[in-house]
Amino acid sequence: MLNLLRWLVFVVAVLAMNFPVIVTVITSFKSARELSFNPGFWIGEPTLENYTRVLGETDRFNIYGYLFNSTIASLIGTGLAIALAFPAAYAIARSEAGRRTLLPLIINLRAVPLIIFAIPLYMMYQWLGLLDTQLGLGLILTIVNTPLALVILVNAISDVPSELDEAAKMDGASSWQVMLMIIRPVVRPAVVTTFIFGFITAWNEFLFGLMLTTSRAVPMTVGASFFFAASGGGVQWGTASAVMVLGALPPALLGLLMYRQISASLTAGAVKG
Amino acid sequence: MAIVNRAEGRAYLTPLVGFLLFFLGFPAAVNLVYSISTVSFETLRSPSLSGFGNYAAVLADREFWGAVSFSMRFGVLTALAECLIGLFLAVFLTPLLAKRSYLMAPLMLPLMVAPAMIGLMYRLVLHEFAGPVPYYLFEWFGDSPAFLGVDNAFRTLLVVEILQWTPFAFLLFYMAYAAIPLEVREAASLDGASALKALWWVELPLMLPTLVIAFFIRFIDGFRVFDNVYALTGSGAGGSTTSLSIYIYQAFFKGGAIGKAVAASVVLFLASLAVLYGLNWITGRGRR
Amino acid sequence: MKLNSTSFSAVAVLFASVALPGISHATVTVLGWPGGSEETALRATVEAYNAQSGIADADKVELLFFNRDGFFDKLQADMAAGSDAFDVNLVATYSIGRYAPYMEPVDLGADAGKVFGESVLKTMQFDGEQYGVPTDLSLHFMYYRKDLVDALMQDDVAKKKYAEIAKEHLGKDLQPKDPDSWTWDDWAATTLYFSKQVNSESPVRYGTVLQMKNLLFNMMVFQSLPRSYGADWTDKDGNVTVDSDAYKTGLELYKKLYDAGASPKDSLSYEYAETNAAYGSGQAATALQWNAAAADLTNAEKTPAVAAVTGIVAPPAGPNGRADHIHGLGLGLNKNAKNKEGAVKFLKWLATEDAALLYARSGGSPALAPDVAAKVSKERPDLVKLGEFASQYGYVMNGATSANALSVYELQAKEFTGYWAGQQSLEDALAHTKTGMQDLLKK
Repeated sequence: MLNLLRWLVFVVAVLAMNFPVIVTVITSFKSARELSFNPGFWIGEPTLENYTRVLGETDRFNIYGYLFNSTIASLIGTGLAIALAFPAAYAIARSEAGRRTLLPLIINLRAVPLIIFAIPLYMMYQWLGLLDTQLGLGLILTIVNTPLALVILVNAISDVPSELDEAAKMDGASSWQVMLMIIRPVVRPAVVTTFIFGFITAWNEFLFGLMLTTSRAVPMTVGASFFFAASGGGVQWGTASAVMVLGALPPALLGLLMYRQISASLTAGAVKG
Repeated sequence: MAIVNRAEGRAYLTPLVGFLLFFLGFPAAVNLVYSISTVSFETLRSPSLSGFGNYAAVLADREFWGAVSFSMRFGVLTALAECLIGLFLAVFLTPLLAKRSYLMAPLMLPLMVAPAMIGLMYRLVLHEFAGPVPYYLFEWFGDSPAFLGVDNAFRTLLVVEILQWTPFAFLLFYMAYAAIPLEVREAASLDGASALKALWWVELPLMLPTLVIAFFIRFIDGFRVFDNVYALTGSGAGGSTTSLSIYIYQAFFKGGAIGKAVAASVVLFLASLAVLYGLNWITGRGRR
Repeated sequence: MKLNSTSFSAVAVLFASVALPGISHATVTVLGWPGGSEETALRATVEAYNAQSGIADADKVELLFFNRDGFFDKLQADMAAGSDAFDVNLVATYSIGRYAPYMEPVDLGADAGKVFGESVLKTMQFDGEQYGVPTDLSLHFMYYRKDLVDALMQDDVAKKKYAEIAKEHLGKDLQPKDPDSWTWDDWAATTLYFSKQVNSESPVRYGTVLQMKNLLFNMMVFQSLPRSYGADWTDKDGNVTVDSDAYKTGLELYKKLYDAGASPKDSLSYEYAETNAAYGSGQAATALQWNAAAADLTNAEKTPAVAAVTGIVAPPAGPNGRADHIHGLGLGLNKNAKNKEGAVKFLKWLATEDAALLYARSGGSPALAPDVAAKVSKERPDLVKLGEFASQYGYVMNGATSANALSVYELQAKEFTGYWAGQQSLEDALAHTKTGMQDLLKK
């Protein structure tokens, strides 16, 4: 009985939270003609024209290039953020260094709209030759991701009983070794979570992608709006939906793939039944 | 005994600090100059210093305070709702999910879609003639409310944000909940505690740090909301859905008031820093 | 997942992307408006240009399109920072004052005036200098349902009802009229008659679709109503006159129609796309909408519900006649262009009659002088209408090409929508707008 209720809650939650996604998928299979008279959930004349259009017009809308750019920039932006934040998080969790001033300062970066840095960054990038490069975009995404990475990792490392470290230290391990050999495996789920959230955030970033790229390094979110404008222009709903579906696939696949990692490492200690 | 001594701690912090200094040091310095200058897009390279007029203008601007209030309410309400629903789902659904991890997939899906696109999509979903929601409401009840009208816009935006980001809180809680050692639960059930009691007295306290962190992150994200609101209602009729991020963006690009936009960000930065330091101080005292 | 491997691959990728070669600038790079008919037309035109025998390889034109969303914000950042990623860039009438400092005037030659007409060339001028070649012109059409209006005109009972509604809501004695001779009052009475909330027998749900989202482009659509009552942003001496009776009349009429239920409840979040969808669904009798929508709204494939019964006229008249807000898109020269000579060569060519005709035949919407437009009247009858409306009713407000023009539209959008939404009084809205505009328009 209770189990039935759980299933019910699960289904309702999934339907409610995914509502726009479901509508998007449905819309992406409707023609412009059908959309103008059929707003419902059924599809009268399913069509692939939106997808062929998005995938086919590569001279105008290079979706493969956008996907590639987004993948590279997001990997840099997530990998580098974790690589930088992990030792810092370890230091903050295990010594008092940085907890008082640095941590709040960095967390604060998430609260401020970073776009105010756009103009000076643009000039700096011009000088460094980073404009319109995947690396340049990736480095900005690193900054975007750092606060969240730091918060999650500090929290996770603080949760690890310090007796573990101390025991290892007794055995003569350096703190560097402790960090890599003892802490890292234990907080792996948190690292994976950080990676997923970071990758999604990086993938979905729009404003810096818009400002700092022109043609070679344009990410998916920016490229996607080639077919529509969020304000001040027409929207071709069917095509826009197809773009959204394709654009959300990579982070979705990655997220699910990595999620298996977390759940695998969790099931060891998880409840039974 | 500290496991990491001070010198080592500094060494571990250096790469991150160096990176941020390198990439944000120059822009931050430029911005500080802009915030006390008269500057426009034509004079980016030659701003003329003019004192604290920009700060005064920001603090005297009723729209700035309107935006602060919008962001504040939006942040608190969405964070609360997301954490409560997320916690409920995590605790209630764990028995289902523990055995079938693939069920996590549909629950995490909303996170994968860019908020700007979600916003755009809701423009279709809620459209009186082209969207499924009003369509079925008309079909079944003969009428449909103005979802994005002035009276409902705020509520609609709340729901949009909550539906997309509850999975975030849920995921963190689910992991924290699953990470509670089996022995703890067994001990609790041996003591004869009911499930609810065990949850309240044993499990929730163990999850408390995660609860705090999740609320905190969601609050910040709600506070600085931009993409989905911008796509759905823009700054709203008469500026009624202007979040602080939208305020700053519009001042910057649409209004060309660079000095004012930057000054507003500096005010925001200092204010939130003060709050964070305050929190830190309180928890620091509590720990001792 | 291992931390090590992640950071390692990140570093590897880092080096890989540094090694990417830069694009060589041996060509003329043109930044165009992406996605729509403008892009299709520009592509075809550029192809023809490059195919000419007299064009050196170094002067061949390469096109660059970035996305639509935030296009002008991005362009502004690029230009302000002195980008040389493009030689020729898009410019619009309302943003010309903002971009002029980063652009160079071009001399298009005497013939350009014959191709486009002086009034259209003016949409690309700032401080008396020509900053661009006009390519596309945007203005507004009044779209209406021929079937509904015809039925109304032939039905005596309906006419009586119409007169009653006009008397009750507008306080005027009005009779149904042909849309091409509508005044704004006639239009208002028609929209009220066709709104379920006012007239339960109306065959459609709403009489019109008002675009009332807080968005600067919506202000351009609205502007023509007060304009036909004599409105302007400033008088000759530069005094801001937004608090005129003309603006009051226009603002009040919109609010009256919205409050009466003549436009969808969500109109305060409507812009171009929503308006098309609403009118296209067959549930609205009229819509004041951009000319760009004509292609979709009269295409039976895209809008089967109304395509066959949609009529198009210029916006209704006021005491000062009809008015239609025009703005042009065009292409001009970036100050930091790497290949200025090649760029100027292309721009001059673009301003010739042959190029303009080619652009028109390829789907663009240039405003052409009447005798030039006549040459494409068969393929593009809509261009004749466009040119006609532009020359007869087209106007640009005083100050609407100045450096802060966009900010003025932005300000009006915020204050006017605030009034329509009932958040502030008409007097307050106009007072705020006036103060703000005085700030923005002072030299």
